[in-house]
Amino acid sequence: MNQTLRKTRTFLWVYYAYMVEYRAELILWVLSGSLPLILMGVWIEAAAGGQFGLRPVDFARYFLAAFIVRQLTVVWVVWEFEREVVEGRLSPRLLQPIDPVWHHVASHVSERLARLPFALLLVGLFFLLYPQAFWVPSLGQFLLFLLVIVLAFVLRFLIQYTFAMIAFWTERASALEQFWMLFFLFLSGLIAPLEVFPPLVRQVTLWTPFPYLVYFPASILIGLPVNLGQGFLAMLGWSGLFFGLNRWLWRRGLKQYSGMGA
Amino acid sequence: MPIVIVENLSKVYPVAVKEPGLKGTLRHLLHRTYRPVQAVQDVSFQIEPGEIVGFLGPNGAGKTTTLKMLTGLIHPSAGRVRVAGHVPFRRDVKFLHKITLVMGQKQQLLWDLPALDSLKINAAVYGIADKEFDWRVSELVEMLSLKEKLTQPVRKLSLGERMKAELLAALLHRPQVLFLDEPTLGLDVNAQVSVRDFLKEYNQRYDATVLLTSHYMADITALCQRVLLIHEGQLIYDGNLDGLIEQFAPYREVKVELAQPRTEAELRPFGELKAVDGTIVRFLVRRGTLTQTVARILAQLDVVDLTVTEPPVEEVIGQVFRAGVVA
Amino acid sequence: MKRYLEVLGLFWSTAIAAELEYRANFLIALLSSLGNLIGSLFGLSLFYRTGYNFEGWSWEETLVVLGIFTLLQGFSSTFLSPNLNKIVQQVQQGTLDFVLLKPISSQFWLSTRTLSPWGLPDLIFGLVLIGYAGQQLGLGLSNYLFSIIPLIFGLASLYSLWFMLGATSIWFVKIYNVTEVLRGLLEAGRYPMVAYPAAYRFFFTFVIPVAFLTTIPAEAMLRRAELSWVTGAGFLALGLLYATRAFWKFALRFYTSASS
Repeated sequence: MNQTLRKTRTFLWVYYAYMVEYRAELILWVLSGSLPLILMGVWIEAAAGGQFGLRPVDFARYFLAAFIVRQLTVVWVVWEFEREVVEGRLSPRLLQPIDPVWHHVASHVSERLARLPFALLLVGLFFLLYPQAFWVPSLGQFLLFLLVIVLAFVLRFLIQYTFAMIAFWTERASALEQFWMLFFLFLSGLIAPLEVFPPLVRQVTLWTPFPYLVYFPASILIGLPVNLGQGFLAMLGWSGLFFGLNRWLWRRGLKQYSGMGA
Repeated sequence: MPIVIVENLSKVYPVAVKEPGLKGTLRHLLHRTYRPVQAVQDVSFQIEPGEIVGFLGPNGAGKTTTLKMLTGLIHPSAGRVRVAGHVPFRRDVKFLHKITLVMGQKQQLLWDLPALDSLKINAAVYGIADKEFDWRVSELVEMLSLKEKLTQPVRKLSLGERMKAELLAALLHRPQVLFLDEPTLGLDVNAQVSVRDFLKEYNQRYDATVLLTSHYMADITALCQRVLLIHEGQLIYDGNLDGLIEQFAPYREVKVELAQPRTEAELRPFGELKAVDGTIVRFLVRRGTLTQTVARILAQLDVVDLTVTEPPVEEVIGQVFRAGVVA
Repeated sequence: MKRYLEVLGLFWSTAIAAELEYRANFLIALLSSLGNLIGSLFGLSLFYRTGYNFEGWSWEETLVVLGIFTLLQGFSSTFLSPNLNKIVQQVQQGTLDFVLLKPISSQFWLSTRTLSPWGLPDLIFGLVLIGYAGQQLGLGLSNYLFSIIPLIFGLASLYSLWFMLGATSIWFVKIYNVTEVLRGLLEAGRYPMVAYPAAYRFFFTFVIPVAFLTTIPAEAMLRRAELSWVTGAGFLALGLLYATRAFWKFALRFYTSASS
């Protein structure tokens, strides 16, 4: 137990130092998640002039929450993993007495810590420019949000890590992720809250994993009504499914990998 | 008239300092401190057209920095540089036509395509006409024995073949001054020899000037009549290889064959013992006392045979770098 | 000049030859472009399905903006982003040195060295979208011709922004995401500027000139652009091109005086 704790701490520290070393890059990553902030503008303007069921300030808060959610759930493991397989760097990792996935988990978690100050700075700046949108979630909401955001990150990571497994068979595993990203972009609630979707599209979307990655946590943070039970069930269900698929592909993939003599 | 003139050349650049550990990381995040590093210090030399000059020094001595200043990739902090009558840092077109740079660990050829495609691009860039291009390529292909390799994708070539193709690409515009940074790095012995032979032949055929750095002493001994020794940014020797040994190897090896074996205690007074093998004894003797010592040995021991040899170049240079000797 | 054209031809033919080694990419690019198109239309329809419109821009008129946006995306992925990635790579691996020692403008070399045919689907879809909307609106040849000039200004501005960002890799070596920031901000070009609140409009006109990339060419095509804005786009393009050149020279001076 003590050993695990020490390992975890060392991992996080080392990866944190690594992330800080590339702080310029980190700021850029934070800024590159600006899409929700752009769409916020269009929707605020639209809500002022049309009938969308939400007030301009709701849209402002929703998209700010979506921005925060996206900052906290960014995942890039498929590119890392693909490179490791292609360049043969996976082999030495397989010899270590620890599952290679923990390296990725540690780098993702510590990146979040390094990124947080920049993201918060941007949020602060936002409230300075648009004080009407300021709100403080209740403690309950906030704790619930923390739980959901961790789950959302886990789900996002599991899905992408499952895609990463395809790297054992082809050099272009990240293409799958890119294609998946299109659906994520349009269905997760990043471009608009599900409230403004046509009812049928909305019903269908709620069965997919997408809205639980952005819309669901963002709505909880700003207090939009959501079906909590259904949300948690869907998140756990999808996580379980991808976890199973991931482990199965991992075992098959390792066989394939060692079979090639790499 | 020298083709390369370097006067009091210096280069200082700042390096970010980071302390290890979380505290250092945090401090680094907020405020970076820089420490000036003196890469090259007051270096002066001249090279005549047609010379092959070896540039020696341990890693980080300032060899690459100097090469980059000579090619105009780095602006000197102080001093004057002229290469083929130009100020390198202006990198004007005439100057660029006269020089080339080959870096052993970096490649300019396109990875996925045959080398010939990269050569065609270079030909267009340097404005070489088609006919002239064909003729130059065939000539260089023959000198490098690269036949049929130019139409294969570069990634399918062996390391040695790739280096030769790199040389071909770098020499297509027939530069007068060649700057080579570790051109034989990582090559096997055969490939090293053929690169060496090629450089020698190219130098003779076109009277080209060559300045090269290498970790392989064999490159230097085979190619260079003259070496520049740089250590911690300072030029500590400029002259031929023999002189280098003269200056930096304070010892000679005296090999003596005796009529009958002697104990080490009996031998020690004559000089530092390197090895004793029956009747064969090897002494290390200071250069200054050589004649004296040899005379004493001849007078006091039954000597069958006596030879005085210089230590090998590698050993001398290795010693210089280890001890940090500055003459 | 002739030499530059010759070099350009060689650059592009070798780039295509190299890319064709990976043919499966085309299918991926096609599917991505198609998905992206459908998603974009869906996103836009969310505004229009309730009867709302962007301050007098009809659905078809907004499609013209989206079409130009898609066209620019195709242009970026064909000409801009592959070269930008290459700049970053060359700075990282130190092979930029070879480029600097060539007797040819290094900015030209780095801007045109390669191209990726996989941006083609976006270019085609963009044209299809513009064509469809134009037909619905009854646009004639003169409408299209009118938009070409501001479109070229837009492309020049876009190129300048990308190249300047790429040049920053001289300082920040590991900066693959530099493209992502710009790409993220350029997303604002999907909608006509009137769809945004005043502060956004100001930002996307005068800070990041997205308005000049899509809205103004679209307005020119719809014959509602004011001459002053088109002239402004021209000055902007020239200014940015000039700034790019100056910035690259500055970056190079830094590179060559600081690198080891």
